[in-house]
Amino acid sequence: MSLIRQVWLLLLATVLLAFVGSIGVATTSARDLLQSQLRQKNSDNAASLALALSQQKGDAQLMSLLMAAQFDTGYYRRVQLRSADGKVVFNREAGSPAGSAPGWFVSMVSIASPVGSAQVSDGWRALGQVLVESEVSYAHDALWSSTLRTALAMALVGLLAACLGWVVVRRISRPLDVAVAQAHSLEQGEFITASEPRVLELKRLARAMNSLVERLRVTSRAQALQLDTLHRQLNGDALTELSNRSHFMFQLDASLQREDGPVQGGLILLRVMELDALNRQFGHAATDRMLVTIAQSLQPYAEEVRGCFIGRLNGSDFALCLPALEVVRETAQTLAQALQLVLPTLGSGAAVCIGAVEVHRGMKVGQVMSSADAALARAENRGAFAVEFGPHPPGVLAILGEGAWRQRIEQALGQPERVRLMEFPVLNAKRQLVHLECPLRLQLQTDGAFEPAARWLPLAVRSRLTASVDERALTLALHAADHDGRPRCVNVSPASLLDSGFAGRVRALLWTMPQAARLIWLEVSETAAVEHFELLRELGRQLRSTGARFGIEHAGERLGQIPRLFEAGLDYLKLDASIVAGVGRDEHRALFVRSTVGLLHGLGIQVYAEGVSDATDAVRLWDCGIDGATGPWISTLAVEP
Amino acid sequence: MTAFARRWQRCFARGVLVVCLQAAVWASQPGDADRMASAAQARGPKADAGWQALRPVLLAAIHQGDVVRLQSINDFFNRRIVFREDPGVWGQLDYWASPFEMMGKGAGDCEDFAIAKYFSLRAAGVAANKLRLVYVRARLGGPGGPVQAHMVLAYYALPEADPLILDNLISELRPASRRPDLTPVFSFNAEGLWQATGALSAGDPLARLSRWRDALAKARAEGFSP
Repeated sequence: MSLIRQVWLLLLATVLLAFVGSIGVATTSARDLLQSQLRQKNSDNAASLALALSQQKGDAQLMSLLMAAQFDTGYYRRVQLRSADGKVVFNREAGSPAGSAPGWFVSMVSIASPVGSAQVSDGWRALGQVLVESEVSYAHDALWSSTLRTALAMALVGLLAACLGWVVVRRISRPLDVAVAQAHSLEQGEFITASEPRVLELKRLARAMNSLVERLRVTSRAQALQLDTLHRQLNGDALTELSNRSHFMFQLDASLQREDGPVQGGLILLRVMELDALNRQFGHAATDRMLVTIAQSLQPYAEEVRGCFIGRLNGSDFALCLPALEVVRETAQTLAQALQLVLPTLGSGAAVCIGAVEVHRGMKVGQVMSSADAALARAENRGAFAVEFGPHPPGVLAILGEGAWRQRIEQALGQPERVRLMEFPVLNAKRQLVHLECPLRLQLQTDGAFEPAARWLPLAVRSRLTASVDERALTLALHAADHDGRPRCVNVSPASLLDSGFAGRVRALLWTMPQAARLIWLEVSETAAVEHFELLRELGRQLRSTGARFGIEHAGERLGQIPRLFEAGLDYLKLDASIVAGVGRDEHRALFVRSTVGLLHGLGIQVYAEGVSDATDAVRLWDCGIDGATGPWISTLAVEP
Repeated sequence: MTAFARRWQRCFARGVLVVCLQAAVWASQPGDADRMASAAQARGPKADAGWQALRPVLLAAIHQGDVVRLQSINDFFNRRIVFREDPGVWGQLDYWASPFEMMGKGAGDCEDFAIAKYFSLRAAGVAANKLRLVYVRARLGGPGGPVQAHMVLAYYALPEADPLILDNLISELRPASRRPDLTPVFSFNAEGLWQATGALSAGDPLARLSRWRDALAKARAEGFSP
C-alpha cells in the first residue's frame, strides 16, 4: 500500500474513532446525569407527596384525590400507595407515550427510573408507603436530541480535521512525489534538480538528492569535455582546429552514403600558393597567423549551414563541403574575393586559388576528389585568387515550384501504395537483430522510383511537412512492428521538433498501439540535439511513459557541445559513420570510439555504430564494446534468431 | 437499667467460648464491627471511648428481644450524650451528625439522638421497617407550655400498633399514647431509599443532597447498615 494511502487510512481511522468515542462518552455521561436527576426527582416527589398525604388524617378519599392530582399534573409513569401490610391501596399507571427517539436507541441506551418511596402516616399510625416513578420517554427524547447534536458537531469537527489532514498530506505528498520522480529520472539518466520542500525530513532528502545529481552532472560534464578534446586531438588539425584530412574524407564519404544526406552539393578546395616560400620569407608565426585567418573565414559556413563541413587536407590545402548545389559557384567566388581583401592586410603577400566541383549523391570520394584536384590545378595555373569549376553533370531532378512539391509530397503521403519503409538491420555482436532502421521513401511521381529522404526532405522542410512525414513513418512502423513483432526505428526530422504539437501527437499515436509502441525506437540527429536541446528533452519526456526508446543518430562530431546531453534521458546513441569509419586500421580513431562507448555506457546509454562498411571495422567496433552496428556490410550478414 | 446490668453479668458468666460465639453472631448481623472500631478511632479518643462503651451494649442487645434492645440503647445514649443545639456543637444552624461524630463531641441535638439510636438499634438487629424517625411538635412543661419542633425515634412492633417512643426529652421508653406532649407531623425511615438506588456508593455526590441521605451515607461509612 502506498505511504500516502496509509497516512490517509490512519487519519480516517483516528477521526472515526474520535467521532464514535466522543459520541459514546457524551451519550453515556448524559444518560448517567439524566438517571441521577430522575432518581432525585422520584425520591423528592415521593417525600413531598408522603408529607402531603400524612396531613390528611387518614382520609382515604382525600388521599386518593391528592395522588390523582399529582399523577395527572406531572410526568409520571406510576403513583402507588401501599398499606403498611404491603397491599396496594391506590395505583395509577400510564402507558408509555411514543417518544421521538427511535426504538433501537431506546433499547441500546436504556435509562432507569428508580422508584422513589416515602412513608405515609396519620399521627402515630403508619398508613403505608407511597411509590413514585417518573416517565422516562422524555428523558430518552432529550438524550436522543443531545446525541444528534453531538453527532452533528463531531461530524463537523471530523470534516474539519479531514480537510486539515488533506492539506497536510498534500504538503507531504507533493515533495515526496517530486523526490520519487527525481530518483526515477536519475535511473533514466535524466538529471533534474528539485526545489527544496519545507518539511524538514523531505528537505534533507531533496538536498541530498540534489547534491548527488550535481556531482553526477559535474562528472559527466568533465567526461564529455575530455571526450571533445580527444576528438579534436585525433581528428582535428592542431593549428586551425579544422578536421584533418582523413577525418574530412570520412565525413565526405558518410555524407555521400547517408540515406538522408544531401542529393547534391559542392566541394570547394582552397590552396595557399607557395606556402614553403612564405614560410621561409616571413617565418612560421606569420604563416600560421595567415592560415588561421583562412580557417576563420571558412568557419562561419560550418557553423551556420547545416550539413556543411570543412577540413585542412594538408599544409596548404583547405576543403569546404556544401550541402546545396546552387550556392557552390557563389560561395567559391565570395571566398576568393574576401581573401583577396583580407590576406594583403597581413603583410605576407600570400595568395590562394580555388577549385570547386559539384557533388552528387552516390559518387565515390575518389572520383569527387580527383575532379576537385583537377579544377584546383587549373586555378593554380591561372594564378592568385583564381576560381575554377569542374565539369557540370546533368541536373537530376527537374526544378519545380514550392507549391508543386508540397502537393506531390502530400499526395504521396495520402496513398498507402506510394509510401514505403526501408528496413536496414542493426545487429549486435552476436548478429542478433537489435532493430530495423526504417527510413521512409516516397513515390513522388506515379510509377516513378521510391525516392529517399535526401530527395524530398529539404523540400518537406520548406513546405513544413516534416511532422506529417514523421507521423506517417511512425504509423507505418507501428503497424509493421505489430504485424511481425520486430523492433523498428524511425527518425524524426529536426524541423518536426519545432512543431509545438508534434511531441503530443507522437505520444498519442504511440498510445493507440501500446504493445507495438514498446518495439519503437525514435531518433533525432545530433544537430537537432545541439540546436534544440529543450525540445529534444521535452520529446524524450513525452515518450517515456509509452515504452518507446529514444536516441540520437549521426552523433560524435559535436557530442561535447550538446548542453547537458546526459540530462536528456536518452536510451541510446548512434555514432556517425564519419566517426567509426576506419577504426579497424586507425588506432587513434578506435581509442576515441572506445572512450565514447565507455562514457556513454557509464551513463546507461547504449551505443550503436552507423555506416559500417567492412569486416575489419566491425571486428574493432565489437572490440570497443559497441552494442550494435548498421551499414552496408552489416546488411549483408545473415541475421541470427 | 437493672435488667441490662443483670443480663450483662450473665453474659459475662458464660465465658470466653460464648464471647467467641457472639463474635461469630455479630459477624452475621447487619453492620461491621471492624469498620465501626476504625471509624470511632478516626473520630478521636472520645468517640473511641464511646465505641468501647457501646460495643458491649450492642453485643448484649443482639440476643435480647426488641423491647430490651430499645431500652438499653435509649438509656445508653440518653446518659452518655449531653443535649446541646447544633450551633453550639457544630457552629452550624442545623447539622445531622453520624453516631461517632456525636460521640466524638459528647453532645448532640434531637436529630443526632434519633439517628444514633436508629443506627445502633439496626446494629443490634432491629428490623428497619419497624423503625421510623418522626418529626413531632413537642409541648414542653405540660399543657400551655412552649411548643418546640422536635424529632424522636418510633418503634412499631406491628405496622398498625401503638409505637414506642425513644426520646431524649423524656428518657423513659413510653408508648405514643402516653406521650400527649408530642404531636407527630411526618415520619420517614430508610426503607425503599436504598433498595431503589441499588448499589449507591457513599461517594455519589447526588446522594448527599438531602440531610437524611447524607447522614445515612456517613453512618454507612462508619460501618452501620441503614
